[in-house]
Amino acid sequence: MLEPVLGNSTIEKVLFTLESYGQAYPLELSKLFNIPVNGIQQQMDRLENGGVIVSSMVGRTRLYQFNPRYPFLKELRALVQRAMEFLSEKEIGKYYRRRTRPRKKGKPL
Amino acid sequence: MRVDWEKVEIKELAAIISSHLQKNGIDVVLVGGACVSLYSENQYMSYDIDLVTDTPIKKITPVLKELGFKNTGGRLFENPKCRFLIDFPAPPVSVGDERPVSEFNYLNTQFGTICLLTPTDCIKDRLAAYFFWNDNQSFDQAVLVAKRNKINFPEIKKWAEKQDELEKYEIFKKKCRGEGLLI
Repeated sequence: MLEPVLGNSTIEKVLFTLESYGQAYPLELSKLFNIPVNGIQQQMDRLENGGVIVSSMVGRTRLYQFNPRYPFLKELRALVQRAMEFLSEKEIGKYYRRRTRPRKKGKPL
Repeated sequence: MRVDWEKVEIKELAAIISSHLQKNGIDVVLVGGACVSLYSENQYMSYDIDLVTDTPIKKITPVLKELGFKNTGGRLFENPKCRFLIDFPAPPVSVGDERPVSEFNYLNTQFGTICLLTPTDCIKDRLAAYFFWNDNQSFDQAVLVAKRNKINFPEIKKWAEKQDELEKYEIFKKKCRGEGLLI
């Protein structure tokens, strides 16, 4: 959808995921989309180097989120949100509606 | 009454469990995803029956055993033939950080009466998960409930304001309007 603007579909997936969940890490995206983790990491590095996203360590995992100081963040997120309106319900359900609320230990997922 | 535990539906099960507990002097309030299932006519399907009560678990255990549900540790109960799980979240009934909820809805069914969150509180409960944990599933569930029930939107707005989440409430409102709801 935004691939022609962004250069590739991986970066689009990264942005859609961050818009949906607020944060993400490369291995999680790799498993979710079945894409090699190196490719994801490369695109996240690119976004981080450009100041679009920021990262921090939580335990042994590097978590990424949008950089609140990125000057075009509001406009970028508006574009991402608009593009997501064109995703099919099936695609939304499969990739962008993972449960993020807590689940008590002992209850099956 | 003979119950086919493999085929029982969530509304029927919630009513059977609630009335059986009530007959034994245990008052419960249905909360969580099961309320969404009931208010959305199963457009969203929960497999948890979350019941809030002040009664200690040790008093509930023998009563639920009569229906074939065994305590599997903590506050969870399972019947091997039934696909639904019964949980007793710790009281009180609350949505977000709002003071304990005291107004409930009562659904009468042929299997008994279910005491549950009102549709408005059910939406607040789902929106709380969306506000706190960015849970889009919960957001969709709130919209499902809003589409099929009479909702007090000004009350939800006031509540969202208290939670300091007006921005996310506006997203919810926009989505409801997009679904043709007059707010």
